[in-house]
Amino acid sequence: MGAFFVTGIAVDGFEKAFTGFASLQLRPARLISDFVSDRGIGAALLNATAVGLTGLALILIAKVQLSGATFAAILTMMGFALFGKTPVNILPIIFGVYLAGKLVGKTFSEYLIIALFGTALGPVVSMVTVEMGLTGLSAVAVGTGAGIATGFILPAIAVSVLHFHQGYSLYNIGLTCGFFALFGAAFLRAGGYEFQGLMLWDTDNSAVLVYMIPVLSVILIATGVFSAGKNSWKDLLAIQKHSGRLPSDFMDLESMGGALINAGLMGLFGSAYIFVIGGDFNGPTIGGLLTIIGFGAFGTHLKNSWPVVVGVIVAALIFGKPLSAPGVLLAAIFCTTLGPIAGAFGILAGFIAGFIHLVLVHQTGSWQGGMNLYNNGFAGGLTATLMVSTIAWYRSKNSGFK
Amino acid sequence: MKRKDLILHLIGEISNFLLESDPRRLVISLHQEENGLHLCVLDENPHTKEELEKIDLALNSKKRPELAGYYGSMTGHDMLGSSRLNLLGWQVKHCDVASIGSGIKIDIWLGGDAFQNDQFTIPDKAADN
Repeated sequence: MGAFFVTGIAVDGFEKAFTGFASLQLRPARLISDFVSDRGIGAALLNATAVGLTGLALILIAKVQLSGATFAAILTMMGFALFGKTPVNILPIIFGVYLAGKLVGKTFSEYLIIALFGTALGPVVSMVTVEMGLTGLSAVAVGTGAGIATGFILPAIAVSVLHFHQGYSLYNIGLTCGFFALFGAAFLRAGGYEFQGLMLWDTDNSAVLVYMIPVLSVILIATGVFSAGKNSWKDLLAIQKHSGRLPSDFMDLESMGGALINAGLMGLFGSAYIFVIGGDFNGPTIGGLLTIIGFGAFGTHLKNSWPVVVGVIVAALIFGKPLSAPGVLLAAIFCTTLGPIAGAFGILAGFIAGFIHLVLVHQTGSWQGGMNLYNNGFAGGLTATLMVSTIAWYRSKNSGFK
Repeated sequence: MKRKDLILHLIGEISNFLLESDPRRLVISLHQEENGLHLCVLDENPHTKEELEKIDLALNSKKRPELAGYYGSMTGHDMLGSSRLNLLGWQVKHCDVASIGSGIKIDIWLGGDAFQNDQFTIPDKAADN
């Protein structure tokens, strides 16, 4: 986080970065709103720092140990703070989750993961506050209220939709938020509201953004090797043998060192992919890379990811979509949410899941009005549900008795 | 979640684990009190020392409220794929894993804040958890 802050100031200067950061708090945040394109690298990095610190503070307040799950949550929050999350639009959601816990007698630590990942619906707060024609205090009050109400309902949905795919889609809150946003968007449309498409996508490919993830990845790998010593590569190989099904905390199951090396490798390979296909390094793609690095400690690894990514690539080629187009590029990064399908059921199942994912993800964004930042998590969750239902049904054909 | 559902899910997950090695016999015993329960599961399949250690490690893993409160809902519920003893381990008070003759005996104690150790045949250290 410190590096993000220092880099942000170094790139744009103190005044520009801070002014941009402040103005981001009242900007539309629905998909795809690249904050780098909107207010510059400095503002986006400062925003990511602030959102990351908010997440870290919550982990400390809840007295939860840093682990694979929290590592994934913090990096995902920071990543999406480059294109949608801001401290202002995530706090009402978090408070709503806290209130839901109070109602059913759960401690905040029990709902912490839902609160952290649930910030994917931050754009609901921004949209109600700045896009719906409300002004002044009433805009702030209604936007905040909408965020609290949204957060309040999330735990109920999150636990239920987990059973849809049985833990085979890593971004379960993506499915949760997409499910909720589907209803929200339907009600808004029924009331006459028309969602305007947003597409802010930076194409400058600043050197800072191009080299940021490779440098971070190398640091993670070096830290992992230093931390696990002689066992680091053995632990890394052991991680590749896990299916990755939720919840697979690689820091617990193997070691912190092995998990950090795995996370760093995910970042390096992800960056290499974008570089090879000529994709853009901007807020959304850096956000995607930070997310897969985070989940490199919580379910994603190279062995369970490649079949799914190949499925996305083949689908894109068959349907004539350029690999560097925003939707396809993001799908190739975030489709790793389906890694556990490949990890548990094999390469072919992973490939099919990736293929279906690309087709579906191009539709789900408009279904939910772009309010759920984890649109690939939404599509991935639906894809995993389809795959798991079919596999479970097929396996029921024989009870095993003669 | 009602207590009956909780017990069903606990039994489901631990049975799922033991049934993966296809035992000819599987015995499940339950003792309930107001503030806790003791579940004892036995099979007759041979298990290596490493297996026992792995089971013990999963069931006596560090308490993880942030994972138990959310992913713990999958315990004994989502059965496609291999069983996951760590889902149980995050929620229980204490577990003992022992080799008995040709099989294995797994004792699981679970309860609320008012769990009373003396109502069960349980090692003293569990009361501190």
